[in-house]
Amino acid sequence: MMELENSSVMTVSNSGSGEGSVSSSSQLQLPAPPPQPPPPNPVVKKKRNLPGTPDPEAEVIALSPKTLLATNRFVCEICNKGFQRDQNLQLHRRGHNLPWKLRQRTGKEPRKRVYVCPEPSCVHHDPSRALGDLTGIKKHFCRKHGEKKWKCDKCSKKYAVQSDWKAHSKVCGTREYRCDCGTLFSRRDSFITHRAFCDALAEESGKKGPGAQTSDPKPSAEEEKATATEEETAAEEVTAATEAAAETAPAAVVAAPLPPQQVAPLELQEPAEPTELPQYMPPPSASLANTSGVSCSSSSSSSNTSLFASLFASTTSTAVAHSTATFSDLMSVMGHADRPLTEPPSLCLATNGGPASLFSPQAQSHDRRPFAPPPPSPHMSATALLQKAAQMGAAATGSSFLKGFGLDASSGHQENIQDDGLQWGHQRKLEPEPAPMLSAGLGLGLPYEPDLMMGSSSLFGSKPATLDFLGLGMGPVDGTANGGLSALMTSVSGGGGGGLNMGPGTAAAGWEGTERKPSSPAIR
Amino acid sequence: MRAELRGSTPGHVSVPDPNPFDTPHGSLSGALKGCLGSLDGAGIEKLLLHCATAVEANDATLVQQVMWVLNNIASSHGDPNQRLTSWFLRALVTRASQFCPTAIPSATTGLTRARPMTATELVGYVDLTPWHRFGFTAANGAILKMVQGRRKVHVLDFSIYYCMQWPTLIDALSGRPEGPPLLRITMPSARPSVPPHLNVSTEEIGLKLANFAKSRDVPLEFHVVKATWSCSSDALNGHSNFLQEFASCLLDPSSLGLREGEALVVNCQSWLRYLPEGSGRATDDLSSRDAFMELIHRLNPCLVTVTDEDADLDSARLTSRIMSCFNYLWIPFDALETFLPKDSPQRLAYEADIGQKIENIIGFEGEERMERLESGARFSQRMTRAGFESFPFDEETVSEVKLLVDEHASAWGLKREEDTLVLTWKGHNSVFTTAWVPSGYDG
Repeated sequence: MMELENSSVMTVSNSGSGEGSVSSSSQLQLPAPPPQPPPPNPVVKKKRNLPGTPDPEAEVIALSPKTLLATNRFVCEICNKGFQRDQNLQLHRRGHNLPWKLRQRTGKEPRKRVYVCPEPSCVHHDPSRALGDLTGIKKHFCRKHGEKKWKCDKCSKKYAVQSDWKAHSKVCGTREYRCDCGTLFSRRDSFITHRAFCDALAEESGKKGPGAQTSDPKPSAEEEKATATEEETAAEEVTAATEAAAETAPAAVVAAPLPPQQVAPLELQEPAEPTELPQYMPPPSASLANTSGVSCSSSSSSSNTSLFASLFASTTSTAVAHSTATFSDLMSVMGHADRPLTEPPSLCLATNGGPASLFSPQAQSHDRRPFAPPPPSPHMSATALLQKAAQMGAAATGSSFLKGFGLDASSGHQENIQDDGLQWGHQRKLEPEPAPMLSAGLGLGLPYEPDLMMGSSSLFGSKPATLDFLGLGMGPVDGTANGGLSALMTSVSGGGGGGLNMGPGTAAAGWEGTERKPSSPAIR
Repeated sequence: MRAELRGSTPGHVSVPDPNPFDTPHGSLSGALKGCLGSLDGAGIEKLLLHCATAVEANDATLVQQVMWVLNNIASSHGDPNQRLTSWFLRALVTRASQFCPTAIPSATTGLTRARPMTATELVGYVDLTPWHRFGFTAANGAILKMVQGRRKVHVLDFSIYYCMQWPTLIDALSGRPEGPPLLRITMPSARPSVPPHLNVSTEEIGLKLANFAKSRDVPLEFHVVKATWSCSSDALNGHSNFLQEFASCLLDPSSLGLREGEALVVNCQSWLRYLPEGSGRATDDLSSRDAFMELIHRLNPCLVTVTDEDADLDSARLTSRIMSCFNYLWIPFDALETFLPKDSPQRLAYEADIGQKIENIIGFEGEERMERLESGARFSQRMTRAGFESFPFDEETVSEVKLLVDEHASAWGLKREEDTLVLTWKGHNSVFTTAWVPSGYDG
């Protein structure tokens, strides 16, 4: 059945041989195969299966939708880097300094790989109908099952489910309630509520007569009448009301009533708001985002990712600069988030008529898929990857990790921690604990204290020289998963097999009509 | 290998290796991210539980390890799983930081610094999904039914949503065949320090509401009950401040301004979850859940409406709370995903507010853990114990609620559990709403 690669070694060997099925695209149904350089090492000639006769020995690979949709067609399975051309991928692969040579010397022939489509309803979902090459399955998926976002033409609302989109399109623009401030609503209760708090209402009390209403171009006759009536009534009544309110000042109203003139500035603020940058968080300082060696997206709009990433895996030679990536820095930047509710209220009305149309099969599959396609996943188990992490520099990992927390034994950059840690407001005086948890490691407003360092030495584990950050055992080549984290990852990924679960959660309780509450629902 | 923290071992200083963890091609993080990105919700949940267990066990190394892994999954701009994970991770970091020995500022303050909303923004906020208006509509429907024919109506409003519920009630009352009643709305000045946050005072909201009511020919009196005890500026005990303030609002029922002959309605909207279980001595602890209900009962209201989120997030055990939070709060994240783009500021803000809730539930204990949600079933038992009978929603109200739900994405649904109405997302309970009358009510 479907399985993922269990061992990085095997993966490497396949790709290292240069003619693993990943790069076999040139052999199979590409109309114009890109020219391929001769593989850098002896190639085991692959016999090509006849179509429809799958190799029973073949290894079935199930890639995620996200992987399949990635535009770089040639993907390094070790690091997920994508390439436009296979030859570039091959050259890149040689850069992975991994013991694929060992594998080769044992002489084991690389297993053929076939790929299944992640779409459960697809004919190619079945392993017996798997496609033989990576490019083929990618093309197939992209065409057949590419992620669709349904977008309304009239407004900017998007829907993941086609029936929702259809239902919305039916009502979008047909029923409209318009407030004096210009906002449109498709639902009356939202309109009413908005109107109650909209400054346009109070404004009217300041000005005039019944004639001062905006006419709505295309509401239904009923709504137009309703709007007109309301506004006329409001115009007359509110004027009287404000005066009355000011005079009688009902004892119940505790606050001094605001004169309408004061309300105007509030209203003026509102139009200004949409011009705010619609960024949830301010872009991180250059030192945080750009110098991070981590390959997560570090565009300003995903500043959170890069901040956290730089926190947790801040790297390298610019260690000095990186001590600025302290936890407290992180939190303070996060804390400065504006509330950019810049989208006009009308957009937030998720209107959707048509209750009759429940999920179409396609929509169903949208819903029951995992939320959105996860990032590309190579054919490696988490265990294997973490072993790799250990190989690549487990000793060093812990230090930068902790550096990210502001705990840096080698450099004395504690001043940042002190300054920024206090930004959070109130302090809490806690009794110093003899066995601090993360101790100074979190760098939260702590002065650098050697004693604390000593006391928390076990923070670094009991191994003297090598910081076995991932707990995977000593030494670079030891790939055995004996670490707490590896065991954890194994258990997390479903126990038995070392692979990770992919695709829709196994507890595939379709939601329609199901009343039971799964104890641990896989989030679809 | 688990490196347990066993106390200081002087002389054993592990100087970190000068080579920081280098990802020359960004490869590992990418690969790991890719690999872990395909974890389903159950896998992430396990990771979170492991992290929590490690935190509770003071296992610093394992905590760091798991957090590192979680961080590679987490992304506030990613898919809902990733977003949810990012908030959970923050909460766990907050929790872990509680154990730092010296002055550690609370992380919550950092999260509350989003710009407060204007009133109209708040309207949009509560209408993003049917989550809030579901309860508003049902409660207003029950109120309308109950006060038919009454000339004076007094609503005691205990809600965190700053009167967003009332314009539609006012509108409905104005259309009564017998004409609108004199409507009084009273609310306490004390409010738990939770989102959504408004940039104007309650009094200003009341003023706008009064204006609006006038425009509808509904006489409205709006009253804010001031606390007789004012809180200190020590934000550390923010929630204790709220509770004390709140209790002082209730100490003297006459400060509520009740009058003869009026139909008294008590509206609890996402409120009761902020009242603690109580010390057991109800008379000493007015702000506890049971004591509050007892007080309400004594006021002899004609109706008590209770709406809240339908989940048990108050377990004493951290791991249970993580599980139940994760298995519940995916709902709003999933819902927002269906119609708002990844970078939508509204979506991010809404999610951040949920993140704050997560942080409180997971990051804190004791008095600071103010979010103590219990499910509809348990609340209902509590109401029954407090001497209330459930009051069924009439068919007109139910159809109105159904209409509301149907106007949103098709995954939203309505369910009836006896006299309780439940809003569902893909079949999972999200919000419950109920109405109650005191047993043997003498209307």
